Amino acid sequence: MSERRDEFLSDEDLDLENLSTEELEAYWRLWLTQAQGTNDVDQASYSHGVFDRDPAVSE
Amino acid sequence: MDNPYIRLTQEFNDGRLRAILASGQAVVLYRLAIMSKDGDWILREEAETLAHVIATLARHGARYRYGAPLDLRWLAHGWSSHLEFQEGGLRLRCDFVTRPPRVSPGALLALWEAPVYKEVPVVSLPVLAEIKKTNREKDYAVIGELARKMEDPRLQALHSRSARDLMRLFAEQPAVVAEASGERPLLSRIGQGREEIERLLDEERRALMRKNEDRLDRYLGAARRWGADWPRLSKELSGRPLAEAHEMMVARAAELLPCEP
Repeated sequence: MSERRDEFLSDEDLDLENLSTEELEAYWRLWLTQAQGTNDVDQASYSHGVFDRDPAVSE
Repeated sequence: MDNPYIRLTQEFNDGRLRAILASGQAVVLYRLAIMSKDGDWILREEAETLAHVIATLARHGARYRYGAPLDLRWLAHGWSSHLEFQEGGLRLRCDFVTRPPRVSPGALLALWEAPVYKEVPVVSLPVLAEIKKTNREKDYAVIGELARKMEDPRLQALHSRSARDLMRLFAEQPAVVAEASGERPLLSRIGQGREEIERLLDEERRALMRKNEDRLDRYLGAARRWGADWPRLSKELSGRPLAEAHEMMVARAAELLPCEP
C-alpha cells in the first residue's frame, strides 16, 4: 500500500503534468472559452492587484 | 503555444525582457492547475517598458478598467493597473504590477537577472508562492503543490503546506529545516507531531490571509476619491484611443489617487 500524502489539488489538475504541449494548449483554450460564460457575473471583480470592484459597474 | 496570454507575453518582450508572466497563467505553465481566465504580469519598473506595454495593448484595442494608471509614480508604490480587450471571442484581462506583494527587493531583482522560462518568462516557484499568499483559501492549495515542485529543500521547508511533507523533510534534513526556522517559526515545532504542525499551518494561513486583507484595505482606503470619480472618468475615456485615455488617466489620478497608499 502506498504511503498517504496530504492532497491539495484534484487528480484532473495534477494530470496536466502528463499532457503533451498540444494537449495542454487545447485544454487551456477550451477552459478559457468555457470560462467566458461567467463574464457578466465577474464584470466588476478583480482576481489580481489591489482593487476589488469596479465602481462604474452596477450591482 | 497558441494561447493569447503567451502571445501577449511575447509581444510585451519583443526585443528585450520587460514582462514576466505571474499568478494564474504561470500556474498553468508549471502544469499545476487551470484556474484563472485573466493574465497578470510583473513589469520592469521603467518608462520604456510601460510605453511599450501601452503601445502593444493599444494595437489590441485595449481599454483601461478601474485601477491605477500604468505609470511609475503609482506602480512603484505597489498599485496595480488593469486593462482589457476582446479577441477571438475571448475577454482578455491584463493586470500589471511592478512591485508584487511580499516579494523582497532581492528576489525581485533576481527575477530580472535570471528569469525562468517556460516558453515565455514566468515567475520563479518561490516568488509565485509569495504572490499566492492572498486572502483566498484556494491559493494555499496551489502553494502546497508549488512547494513540491521546488528542488531546494530549504525552499520546500519555507513554503510547504503539508504537515506530512514537513515531517519527512525534517527527518531527512534536520539542519536545513532548523536553519529555515528563523524565517518560518512553525518549523521549530515540527518535533511536536503532525496534529500540532497542522494546527500551526492553519494558524499561519489565517494570519497570512488577514495580513493581505489589511494590505488591500490600505489601498482601497487610499483609492476612495479615485473610485468615486471613476464612473464619470470611465465615460469620458470610453471610445478614445488608449494613448489618449492613458494621458487623461494620469492627469486625473494626479489629483485624486495618492501615489503612496
